[in-house]
Amino acid sequence: MKLASHYNKASIIISASMLVISGLIYYLIINYIARKGLDDDLKEEVGEFFIYVNTNHALPVAQYDENQTSYVKTNLKSYNTRFYDAPYANPNHSEVKPGRAVSGLIRFKGQNYIYTIIESRDPTEYLIQIILLVTIVLTAILLLVLIITNMYVLGGLWRPFYNILGFLKGFNIADTDTIAIANTNVDEFKDLNDAVSKMSARVVSEYQGLKTFTENASHEMMTPLSVITSKLDNLIQDERLDSDQLKEITDIYSASNKLSRLNQSLLILVKIDNDLLQDNETLDLSVVIFDKAQQFQEIIKNKNITLTIELNKLEITASKYLIDVMINNLFSNAIRHNKITAGEIKIRIAGRTLFFQNSSNQSELDNELIFNRFYKGKASDGTGLGLAILKNICNNYGFEILYKYCDELHVFEIDFN
Amino acid sequence: MKLLIIEDEQGLCESIQKYFTEEGNICEACNNLKVAIQKIDLYEYDCILLDIGLPDGEGFIVLEYLKSIGRDECVLIISARNSLEDKLKGLNIGADDYITKPFHLSELKARISAVFRRKSFGSTNTLIYKEVHIDLLGRSVTVNNKKIVFTKKEYDMLLYFIANKGKVISKNAIAEHLWGDEMDMIDSFDFIYTHIKNLRKKLMEVTGTDFFASVYGVGYKFI
Repeated sequence: MKLASHYNKASIIISASMLVISGLIYYLIINYIARKGLDDDLKEEVGEFFIYVNTNHALPVAQYDENQTSYVKTNLKSYNTRFYDAPYANPNHSEVKPGRAVSGLIRFKGQNYIYTIIESRDPTEYLIQIILLVTIVLTAILLLVLIITNMYVLGGLWRPFYNILGFLKGFNIADTDTIAIANTNVDEFKDLNDAVSKMSARVVSEYQGLKTFTENASHEMMTPLSVITSKLDNLIQDERLDSDQLKEITDIYSASNKLSRLNQSLLILVKIDNDLLQDNETLDLSVVIFDKAQQFQEIIKNKNITLTIELNKLEITASKYLIDVMINNLFSNAIRHNKITAGEIKIRIAGRTLFFQNSSNQSELDNELIFNRFYKGKASDGTGLGLAILKNICNNYGFEILYKYCDELHVFEIDFN
Repeated sequence: MKLLIIEDEQGLCESIQKYFTEEGNICEACNNLKVAIQKIDLYEYDCILLDIGLPDGEGFIVLEYLKSIGRDECVLIISARNSLEDKLKGLNIGADDYITKPFHLSELKARISAVFRRKSFGSTNTLIYKEVHIDLLGRSVTVNNKKIVFTKKEYDMLLYFIANKGKVISKNAIAEHLWGDEMDMIDSFDFIYTHIKNLRKKLMEVTGTDFFASVYGVGYKFI
């Protein structure tokens, strides 16, 4: 639940209950005041009644005005005058209405009477009802206004927050253009905005620094590597070398070769991350695959791998270099990890999807890990970056790459949509 | 062939010099732009190897200088950066080829030979090595007027070996030349053996001589 809803819920519960309680108190007070007013009226009536009895020396008729008066003979010597609620039957109407009564003792011609005067409570009841109705309507309007205000005002107040949140959600570390996120007059949001801007700027600059470092480090390593390679190239010209020494040299060759490929792979990753390869063109993927298949045919043949190709024209827009790398890596991967005998590679394009399948002695690989950098089998002699590069290239162009294992074949599926 | 190497990395410079210095070749070296320009002013070269990252500036300046004084030496750029922009920039200002570090000396030599051949022989481009005649435009090989049919890779390999005649070429260098340096499968170079065997056999059938010498484990030599 949103913060605003939480707040709304709390504020509505509190204001509703406060309004109910205050309404109740209001009702009770009005009721009390109204009763008090009635009782005052009745007191006046009693006063008038006594004056009437004293001047006229007779008991008034039961109904000498709106009020009803009645007398009951009594032997009681004393009786406390009391006010109480009683039914009021208006002689003009058949129905019985609520009323207020006063009863007391009067001595008339040596005989004690208890007189009772009942007054209709109808007008005050009506007043109370009207007041109650008005109160309820006002309360309802107030609540409604409160909810609407909360909805709109709070929504508006929180907008900068959601802007910042949206920025954070869409935050891409590789994006260099960080913009001021939200305009707001609220201090808290200003602070948050500042903090987020500063943090993202710092993260981006750290990341840029790291990438520059990787790029520079990789480039710097190329020169010493070329010194090693060229020295080895000269060293093997020496005819005095024996087979043991040549064996050692072969190993150094392999190591320096691996190092340079590792470096190149790192550079490709940096270039993809930095979006440095903008040489997009329209390519027919089937042509690229066909060329690569030609290029690798000797190696495939030498490893006794059966290559099955089923290609359709599939046009994509991407950097030729990266697509070359992509297909290269797929082939390298499929050849390297294939079976020693009777291996197979199947390449198929269906619609806009490329399927690259290969047999292997290894069983299913961990889908979560295979695209990680430097994840590789113990026996693998590769750099461990091939599939990571593949994944990065796909991410870069929004292609979807999936790994599956079915019918004892490792399947890499790339959706170019 | 007279060669000028402009390279600030001493070790690399010496290696290139050593590999290229042979009968008929003169190699000079310098390690900064200033000396390079002086040398270019004083002497003529057939080919210039130019490193882009030099201590006193970018190697492109040499290219611009050569262009401004109307010289047309073959220029091959050596760069630590495998960057398309650098490559295009270099080729636009007048470089003939571009090679990225690290590289094999045999690759460098093959590239220089190709560039030099292109510039010096023009359209009548026939490469003759002993009794082997190669028509570079028609990409056909004849020995004693008999045509030998090679696959594309065999043909490329033959040219590569001829450019590096008398030198031992490592299997790594051969593999990189023919299958590209992005190929990520160094576990086995057996496939090179098969390839060389075919090339060797085809040449032997016609010429009766074995041009190849295998150097234990490391590579092959063309003699």
